[in-house]
Parts: sequence; structure tokens; C-alpha cells
Amino acid sequence: MPSARFPIPQGTLDMLILQILTLGPAHGYGIAQRLNQISKSVIQLNQGSLYPALHRLEHKKWLKGEWRQSETGRDAKFYSLTPAGRKQLATEKNEWARLAGAVQVIFDEGT
Amino acid sequence: MLKHLLNWFRLRRLEHDLGRELKYHIDRRIDDFTQMGLSESEARRQATLEIGGVTQIREDVRDVWLTRWVRDFVYDVRFSVRSFLRAPLFTITAVLSFALGIGATTAIYSLVDQVVLHALPVHQPERLVLIDWKGVTASVNAFGTYNLLSYPLCRDLQHQRQSFDGVFCRAATTISLSTGGDHVPTAAEVVSGTYFSVLGIQPTLGRLLTNDDDGAPGASPVVVLSYGFWKTQFNSASDVVGRKVLVNRHPMTIVGVAAAGFSGIDVGEVPSLWIPAAMSADAFPGFDQMLNRRVRWMQVFARLRPDVTLAEAQAGLQPWFKAMLAEDEQRPEFPKITPDRRQRYLASALELTPAAQGHSPLRRKMSQPLWVLFGATGVLLALACLNVAGLFLARGSARGREIFTRLALGASRGRIGRQLLSDSILVAIGGGLLGILLAPVVMGALIAFLPQGTAANALQSTLNPRLLLFAILVSVGAGVLSGVAPALQASRRSLIASLTERAGSASGSLRLRRAIVTAQIAVTAILVVGAALFVRTLTTLVAKGPGFATSNLISFTVDPVRNGYSRADADRLIRDIHDEIRAVPSIQSAAIATNPLLLGGSWNTQMTIQANQRISTDREVHINAVSPEFFTTLGVKMVAGRDFVERDTLPASEGGLCVAIVNETFAKRYFDGRSPLGAHVGLGSGPDVNAAVEIVGVASNISYRGVREESEQAYFPLVSCATSGGTFYVRTRGSREPAIQSIRAIVHQADPTLPLSPIRTLDEQVSRSLTTERMLAALSTGFGALALLLSLVGLYGVVSFTVAQRTREIGVRMALGATRLATLWLVLRDALVMTTVGIAIALLSIRALGRVIESQLYEVTPTDPPTIAIATVLLCSATLMAALIPARRASAVNPADALRLE
Repeated sequence: MPSARFPIPQGTLDMLILQILTLGPAHGYGIAQRLNQISKSVIQLNQGSLYPALHRLEHKKWLKGEWRQSETGRDAKFYSLTPAGRKQLATEKNEWARLAGAVQVIFDEGT
Repeated sequence: MLKHLLNWFRLRRLEHDLGRELKYHIDRRIDDFTQMGLSESEARRQATLEIGGVTQIREDVRDVWLTRWVRDFVYDVRFSVRSFLRAPLFTITAVLSFALGIGATTAIYSLVDQVVLHALPVHQPERLVLIDWKGVTASVNAFGTYNLLSYPLCRDLQHQRQSFDGVFCRAATTISLSTGGDHVPTAAEVVSGTYFSVLGIQPTLGRLLTNDDDGAPGASPVVVLSYGFWKTQFNSASDVVGRKVLVNRHPMTIVGVAAAGFSGIDVGEVPSLWIPAAMSADAFPGFDQMLNRRVRWMQVFARLRPDVTLAEAQAGLQPWFKAMLAEDEQRPEFPKITPDRRQRYLASALELTPAAQGHSPLRRKMSQPLWVLFGATGVLLALACLNVAGLFLARGSARGREIFTRLALGASRGRIGRQLLSDSILVAIGGGLLGILLAPVVMGALIAFLPQGTAANALQSTLNPRLLLFAILVSVGAGVLSGVAPALQASRRSLIASLTERAGSASGSLRLRRAIVTAQIAVTAILVVGAALFVRTLTTLVAKGPGFATSNLISFTVDPVRNGYSRADADRLIRDIHDEIRAVPSIQSAAIATNPLLLGGSWNTQMTIQANQRISTDREVHINAVSPEFFTTLGVKMVAGRDFVERDTLPASEGGLCVAIVNETFAKRYFDGRSPLGAHVGLGSGPDVNAAVEIVGVASNISYRGVREESEQAYFPLVSCATSGGTFYVRTRGSREPAIQSIRAIVHQADPTLPLSPIRTLDEQVSRSLTTERMLAALSTGFGALALLLSLVGLYGVVSFTVAQRTREIGVRMALGATRLATLWLVLRDALVMTTVGIAIALLSIRALGRVIESQLYEVTPTDPPTIAIATVLLCSATLMAALIPARRASAVNPADALRLE
């Protein structure tokens, strides 16, 4: 694997999953693909951590899992955002923006 | 947490879904890779590599479902169950140990809970207080049990709104009740109109008593039924309101039924109905002193205001109370008293005590014995824990290899320790469940020890949620306690040392097991000594007896005043019955006493003695009024002087003499060896008492309140015209059955509606008055025996284990010429050391604990040398027997076989 790809920063995978699901319900494979496409393959998803994360979010009731037919005709478990998940995403995005802003300020003026 | 547990139940389904989900993902990746041109097998390899191990993902996801510790716990439990099933004998011993300990503890706790701890099922019981008047005994008449105040004082207290949200008063009584048919003695509570509103009780039907029922005496002839009485006596009839019942022959109207579950404020005396205090003249026949400030007969309770503490309320009452006393003293009817007594009266004060549990003479009597028993069961439970801990340690050594293998394979020490802990908790819960099944049986047996009638119908032997919670907490606690030592032991072991050790030679665990057995023997010695003390107390009391011959002696009580008789009519009736009974051929003699013997009650007061000088008794004297031939009938010897004769019963106006008989203890305490005959006495203390009654006889001591008691007693003749009721004592000739038949016939003929108390033998009454002692003796003996059994099992286990371990050493010794006796001694010495140390610890503890049980003992001290000697000998011989079995096995070792071992 080329080293130009970054591993997902600790703790942001949940946020990314929630964000991707704002586009509509998706199954695990779909989420992995979308993450890959949107981040233009810059972010490297460790696929082993995707499923525990999905189940964690489902356990917290931020996601809802549902079995239905996928585009290939086979049954797959589709995850969709719950209202609580939407709220959580908004909070996390807000916090991320504040953190990124603060980091940026330090970069700009900290010299 | 709850969701995690829920997940545990649908684990299979979750696993299945996760499998499908992951398979879908991998299949899609395989498709991707094959489309990129990889071969089928290469694609599969890539997909699997990318996802990083399906097993690991499944593990991680399971952690999400169950959280780590729930999963580990579930595995531990599964593992424990499997290993228990493999060792059934071990499991049965451990579970039974726990079941006995937990069953006994739960049963005793249930009684402690019901009698001592249980708060009344009323609104905010913790804000209820009992109001008591401290520092005054003079210038009052009192009847009832304890903490008595007058009804007018209760009414005064109701105005103290700065401290109280409300005040009520109550008195317990037994009335003769007719609901249409027979007159049946029935428990009732005479209460103020505020009773139900202050307690916060709602009616099931109709209305409860209100302030309007607190009117003038006789103005409110109504009753409220208890829910239980309504259900059993009226079959829950919905039209019961408005019906009439006869209370001591006075018609009263039922106005309502109280809420289910409320049964008065005395756990030992459950009333069937409530009567307003305004009707007290009907409830207590002939009682017309309701409005007398100086007659104290009710307990007064108050509900504290939410913003007031008990201390504040008590302090807040005092200014008003002082003013009330000063005012009361000015009243014309206030008795003339000496300045000294007046001072004491004015200095007296009101005292508040928390009363969330209500008021109960039964609690007063039983709470200390119950706590002693509860302590004993706690000790027994500790013993069971030690036993199980010992068993686990033994099993730990036997399972050494398994544990070391697991350690070597990378299990953490904490994990292994937790596994062992879960083992013991599981055993404890198993034992607890069995104990919970046992507990109601034990409770039933315990309640059977209590006096019938009062306590038996109020106490229940069923389990309630509180009790279940208690049992479960105790089980888990016991499991943790008994599991800690083995778990620590296991997790502390050095892996390398263990693996290089030969199997079954873990010396550290043996030391711990010896310590445990020593502790067990110490605890057992305490229980055995305790049992011996209680048994000695009981046998001493039984041997002492009540001071008179009880065989062929029967008694019964008639109380015609409760049936509407005037005092004069009652006196005539009683005398008629007495005369007719004495004429029956199968009856040798009969006598009457106003106060029954051996029922715990007495009439007592201080007395003034006028001999060479005038003195007051420094203690209250127990007084009874008896008919002539009372002492003859009971077979009590007159030590000096004479018995009462017919002439003594005449009133003074008709030439009767004012005479009294005192008992030996009285003569000894106040006459110091001189003859009391001819001295004069009077009731009460202080200069205003007229000591004009002459002592004409001294009787040998008999029991009055109970067998234990040796009090100063004085007897007065039952003066004619004033006998309103009493207890007959009848000495029969030969068999008592014909006498009982005759008595029933005579009483029935005199008045068919007169309720006759059960005719009881004095043997039975003596035995009833010793119920507490008998309960303590029987239970402590049972506990002692159980404890002995448990520690013998423990000792046997340790000694057997030592023998098995030292077989090789013993073989070598014997090969070198040691005799069988020396080998025997080698093993027994070990047991003897443990026993001696254990008993030494126990003796030290008994010195400290003795004070707790001292008041329950009779003529024996907690450190009584013979009792301790007997217990020690018993314990030593039992432990030696237990050790002898493995010791014999050791001495029978064949040196050749032993050396060939391993």
C-alpha cells in the first residue's frame, strides 16, 4: 500500500460513518467504498475496525440496521441515520470545526 | 447494562447476522478483485487480508454487544458449572454448607425484620414519634403496658402545632365482641379520632374515625373494622357499613373498613376493630376516668412537622409543658403531696422517641433474644463461608495443574482469580436458593416457639421481596467472602515454582487451610459454649419451677365486668362460682387471684413500712389480691404467721381486719432477719401514706411475673364486694378432665353468655413463660451442633490432605523404625494444635462477648468454669475423632508402597 494514504485519525471514524450515511442508507461494503471514493483514496480505512464501529453506533442508537435487498440482489444489512445520530453528527462536526480552527490559529500565529 | 444482558439472550441471532454481514462484504470484495483481474483464490486471499481476520472482527463486535466483563463472566459461569458437575460430592457439600447458613440467617432475619425493624405501613412512618412523660411516677394511676399518658394530655398536645402535624393516642384492649352470635374475646384498639388521619390510612369502605368522634364520653358509638376482620368475619360484605355489633354488650355501628395491609401499630397485637376513645367506658368496662388528667392509660404518638427535627420539637414543647404542670398543680382536684414530690412533679419533662415501628410490648420482650440469635446465625454463616473457602482451597491444590497450564497459556492472574471467585459466588447462590426454600420451614418452627395467640397470628412465615433481597445479598456476600482467600492464593502463585513442584504439595495453601480450620474451631467453641449456657439456664429454671407444685393445678379467668356486669353483681357471680367449684368432689380446693401468675404482668408499687421506724421500699413491690386458701391451693408453705381466713375478706366496716402477707424475699430485704409479723405497711411511698395494714404471715417465694423473677411480693385479701374479676386456681383430685367438665358446667349455668378463658394447666403456663429461654436453648444447641459438624468436616479435610501429602515421608519414617503409635501421634498432633489454638481464641472472645448474653442467662455467668470445661472436652473429643480416621490411615501405611509412590 502506498504510504501517501493516511490512517483515519483516532476517534473520527464514527463521525465519518455518520456523515456518509447522511447521503442515504448504506451497507458496510458500501460505506467502505464511499469513504474511499470521497476521500479520493487519501484516507485509508482499516476495514477490520469498520464493523465494530457500525455495531457500536447501532448499540448507541445513532444508527438503525435493517436487512434488505442490495443492488446485487442479495440481502445486505443497510444502516441508516436515526434522529439521535443526526444530532450527534451535528455536535461532532461542530467540535471538529472548533478543534480544526484552533489548530489552524496555532499554525498561523504560533511561530 | 440492561441492553447488554438482553443481548446475551439473543446472542445466537446476533452472531448469525454478523456472519451474513461479513460474508456479504467479503464476497463483494472478491468480486471487486476478480474484476480487477485477479484469480478467484487470489481475490479471496486479498479480501481476507484486507479485512484483517474475521475472527478478530467477530470478537471486537461481541465486545460491543456484551462489554468485556459480561462476556468474561458468562464464560466463567459456564466453566464453573461444567467443573461443578464433574465434582458432585464437592458441590453438594459446599452448597449444603451455604444452604444451612443462609437458610438460618434468613429465617432469623425475617423475625428480626418483622418484630424489630419493620416500619409501619403508613404514610412517612419515619416522622412518627412516641411522646413519653419522664420523671414522674407519683400522683398517678396507670393501667396498660408502657409509656402511658392521659387522654386530656393527648388533647392538649394536639394544639402544639409548632412541632406536630398531628397527634393521636391509643390503648390496646380485649373486648367481648358479638357480631350477631356468640360473644368472642377480640383484640381491639381504643383510639383518638385523629388516629387514622395522622397515620395517613385510607378507608376501604365507608369512613374512618375523625375528629367528630372525639366528642363527649359516650357520644360516638361507632367502630371501624380492620380489613382482615372484615374479610374473615363478614366475608368482605359490601353492605357492612351501618350494621351493628355488640362491644362488651353495648351496641355500636360499623362505619367503615380500614385499608388492606394496615393492622394497627403493635406488631404483636393485631386489632380486629378500632373504637373511639370517647367510648372507652364501654371498651374498658367500668372505666369512667377518660377525662381525668391523672389516669394514664394511652400511648401518645405525634407526626413531626416536615421542617422540625425531633430535638427541636422536644425543646419546643417544654415551655408549654412547664406552664401546663404549674397550672395543673393549682387545680382543686390535684392530690395533696409533699414538697419533695411536688418538686419532682414540676421538674418532669416530655420526651420524644422515634416510633416508625409503632409500639410493641412483644418487641420489648423479644428484641434482645432475637438479636442474640441473629448474631449466632451470622457466626454460623461465617463458619459456612470458612468451610467453603477450605473446600475451594483443597480443590485449588487438586486443580493446581489445570491452573498452571492456563497461566502458562497466557491467562492473566486476575482472570484466574476471578474464575475462582465466580465459582464460589455460583455455589453461594445455589446454596442461597436452597436456603430460601428452607427458610419458611425454619421460620414456622421459630414462630411456634413464641406464645400462641398474640404473636403467632401477627407474624408470618412467608417470604417477602425484602427478605429475598436480604437472602440474595447474603448469598453473594458469602460467596465473595469464601472465594477471596482461594482466589488470592491462586493468583499469587509463582508459575515457575508451581511447575517445578511435585503435584499436590502446595504448602502455602495448607497453611491457610490450617488457619481456616483453627478459626472454625474457635467459632464453634463460642457457639457450643453459648448453647451450653442457654441449656443450663433453661434446666436451672425448669428445676427451680415457679415455687409451687404445678401438677393437678389448673387455672381460668372470668371477667364479668366486660360482659356488662356492675361491680357488685360481678362480685356476687364470682363468689357463687367459687363456692360451687369448691363443692365439686373432684376438686380439692380453689382460690382466686386478681392478677394472673406467670403471664408477665403484675401490679406493682412502692410501699411504706412502719415497724420500729418508718421506711419506704427502695424498689417497687409486686402486689396481688388473693382469696383465702390461695397459698394452700398452690401448696405454698407459710414460713411464719398465718394464711388469710374468711374474716379477712370482710370490709373494715364489718369487722374485717386490714392484713397482709409478704414473701420471704420481702422479709429478708426489709426486715433483715427479724420477724415482719406485726409490722404495718401501706401502699405508696411518702409521708402522706397511711401504713395501717398489719403483716400477719410470711409465705415462701413463688413466681409472679415469670419463673426467673425473685421479687419482693405482698398479698392482700380479696375484699368482698370489690371482686370484679379474677383468675381461679383449682387443685384437682386425680385426673383433671372431670374437674374441667364441672367448671365449664358451673360457669355456663351461672351465665351462659359469659366468655370463659381456656382452662389451662399450670404445667403448660410454666412452660409458656419459659418460651424465650426454650427458644434460645433449642436454637443455640441446633446452631452449635451444625457448627460442630461444619468444622469437623473442615478438620477432617485438612488432616486427610496432610496425610495424603506426607505419605512418602511417613513411609520413610516407618522404614527407619517409627512405630505406628508415633505415626498416629504425628498426625494427631497437628489436629490437637489447631483445636487448642481455636479454643484459646474462643475463650478470649467469650470474655468479651459475655456481656451481650448475660441478661438472658440465669444463675450462670458467661465464663462459668464447668460449662466451659464440658464444652472444651466435647469439642476436643469430637475433633480428635475426626482426625483419628485419617490418622489411622497414616499409621497403616505400608513403607514399601509409600516409597514406590510417584
